[in-house]
Amino acid sequence: MKPALKYALIALALAVAVAVPFGLEPRGYATRILCLVLLFAAMAQAWNIVGGLANQMSLGHAAFFGIGAYGSTILLVKYGISPWLGLLPGMAAGGVAAWLISLPTMRLRGHYFALATLAFGEVMRLVANTWGGLTGGPSGISVPFSKPGLAVFQFKDMRPYYFLMLAALLVVTAIFAGIRHSKLGYRLRAIRENPSAAEAIGVDTTRTKIIAAVVSGALMAGLGTFYAQFQFFFDPDTVFSIPAISVRVAMIAIVGGVGTTIGPIVGALFLIPIEELANQTFSDQAAGLSQLVFGLLLIVVILAEPRGLLEIGRRLWRWRGRT
Amino acid sequence: MTTQRKAGLGRRSTLKLGVAGALAAPFLSQRAHAAGSVNVGVILPLSGANAQFGINARNGIQLAADQINAAGGIKSLGGAKINLIVADSTSTPTTAVNVAQRLLTQNDVVAILGAFVSTLTIAISEVTERRGIPLLTMSFADQITGRGFENIFQVVAKASVIGKAQFDDTLAIAAASGQKLERIAIMYEDTAYGTSQAGGLRTGAKNAGVQVVMDEAYPLGITDITPLINKLRSSGAQAVFPVSYLNDSLLIIRAMRQQGITIPAIGGAAGYVIPDFAKGLGEYAEGVLSINLSNYDLAPNLTKAFSDRFGYFMVHEALEHAVCMSVLAQAIENAKSTEPDKLRAALHAGKFTNGWCAAMTGGAVQFDSTGLNTLSVPVMVQWRNNELVTVWPADVAKAKPVWKS
Repeated sequence: MKPALKYALIALALAVAVAVPFGLEPRGYATRILCLVLLFAAMAQAWNIVGGLANQMSLGHAAFFGIGAYGSTILLVKYGISPWLGLLPGMAAGGVAAWLISLPTMRLRGHYFALATLAFGEVMRLVANTWGGLTGGPSGISVPFSKPGLAVFQFKDMRPYYFLMLAALLVVTAIFAGIRHSKLGYRLRAIRENPSAAEAIGVDTTRTKIIAAVVSGALMAGLGTFYAQFQFFFDPDTVFSIPAISVRVAMIAIVGGVGTTIGPIVGALFLIPIEELANQTFSDQAAGLSQLVFGLLLIVVILAEPRGLLEIGRRLWRWRGRT
Repeated sequence: MTTQRKAGLGRRSTLKLGVAGALAAPFLSQRAHAAGSVNVGVILPLSGANAQFGINARNGIQLAADQINAAGGIKSLGGAKINLIVADSTSTPTTAVNVAQRLLTQNDVVAILGAFVSTLTIAISEVTERRGIPLLTMSFADQITGRGFENIFQVVAKASVIGKAQFDDTLAIAAASGQKLERIAIMYEDTAYGTSQAGGLRTGAKNAGVQVVMDEAYPLGITDITPLINKLRSSGAQAVFPVSYLNDSLLIIRAMRQQGITIPAIGGAAGYVIPDFAKGLGEYAEGVLSINLSNYDLAPNLTKAFSDRFGYFMVHEALEHAVCMSVLAQAIENAKSTEPDKLRAALHAGKFTNGWCAAMTGGAVQFDSTGLNTLSVPVMVQWRNNELVTVWPADVAKAKPVWKS
């Protein structure tokens, strides 16, 4: 695709994204779901730096997400520090945590890495659950109700959240794209294709992967703060959840198209509304049916094309071109 | 080059079409707002770990709503029928808030009932409070009514009160059988429910000067219970207070009885007061005590309709959700309107005595300014021949408690 066309398309997509909420009821359900689409797209994009570029299947990204959510919220509850400021120490803590967990685990490959990160997420959940004095323990923590406004990161309507989430997605995507086209990105891809060969040509594989993990962890923590200010209440089971966060962000990136810039966005645009649709259509029928239908849909997509929706789109086009 | 460019465009437009379709579909409004009906939102965990409790609760609400409709609906609104909009919160607070937002935006619900699990209820209340829509619940974590919210209504007592009653009632039952309790053991799952109830137990013990010789949290879904039971055996406790959901409660009681530990066990509702407890334990269930928020034998004439229709006794979450539905219907009747402000005022003002409210301890429901039902008192129940019998407090008890020290 010619660069000019590419930029034109990006500009068009942005214009649509900015215009959409004005066509919807500002306090409503549709805007909330779109906020979640944007948030989860950003989370999957942050995951994509490690999971896509370096091909390290992390199943523990909830750890960084939760650190960010708790970091800013604890600072807000205990010291009255604005979440905008709390965002930074939260991100720093997320980056440091990613660095610490990467030191031993980045030497692991394949399933072992996935298992190690899975355990790390679970350890963080237990820490938050047990350290009640700091985190509020299993009863969870509430963002105090205050007069809405940009300064306190609280809004009555959904529309401001939409634009904040959109901004977050753009920032994370820009960072992802920047890394992808930088020296770091090429090193990461070399590692992905063949770690031994990468090492042989002089790439410090462990160090490269750790840098990617730190960036990814810090971004994920920042998004945790966004979630906290959006949801107003959370507990350890929510933000350190394996199915609802760790596996879901990986799934969004994988279903969309792992390692690509628009894969996580496509994945989130597909998965989050489908899950809602399944819930809306089936949840007043047999109990649990909505989750079953959602699960079956996912299995069908991955069976049809393990490389994700982007690849399905490509194949559809080729098939259409032939007839 | 040309084909490549075309391919790029087509790929994207195909994608966009699909994405647009997927995006639009859930938002096509489903306003089934038939004339002369009142939409009531029901949000419960119908899938995941708490699904069975969610289904029980839904059955209770369904029964109550059907009875109201069969009796002519809301009379002050010209016989308007209750139309339930049921939604699955799953076990995730994010989803619970999504469905709450959906019911409010698309179904114009006048109130929401749910959501059994305290964390789900708290998450939903953040939405209903900002929108000024009443939320009626039987979740009982202390924070629910402790945040100064105006639109939340809890028909049962608070967790700390329940924990304290679990202790105080036990002390009284032991005393009535001639035993002075001096050493007790507490074991609880490390969830919001477990920790807050354990807190109440601890306070009760401290006030009564009773020594807590074992105080152990364990992770939800524990598989090896042996270390806990060994610790219990060597602690010298005269009674044990386990607070847990079903699977853990089965493990704990079975392991205790198999190892010949016969001290009384006083459960903390949840897993200890559902038919599956007796089904899973058989003879080991006999004589196990538990605190409960209400019990079906206090109003057999009402709860029989439930067991006739669904084939099992009316568990407390079903009963209390039926009460939520009943209270809401009476409040709408009194308010002669479904307008949120009038409805909230009617809920705060009234003393509700009709319908299912009679099944609660105190025989009625009345909310204080925090939305807490001030009349609800926890009761102590005991397993006798696969039935739960209310044994304490004495003024409502259906039988004398059996205490084997």
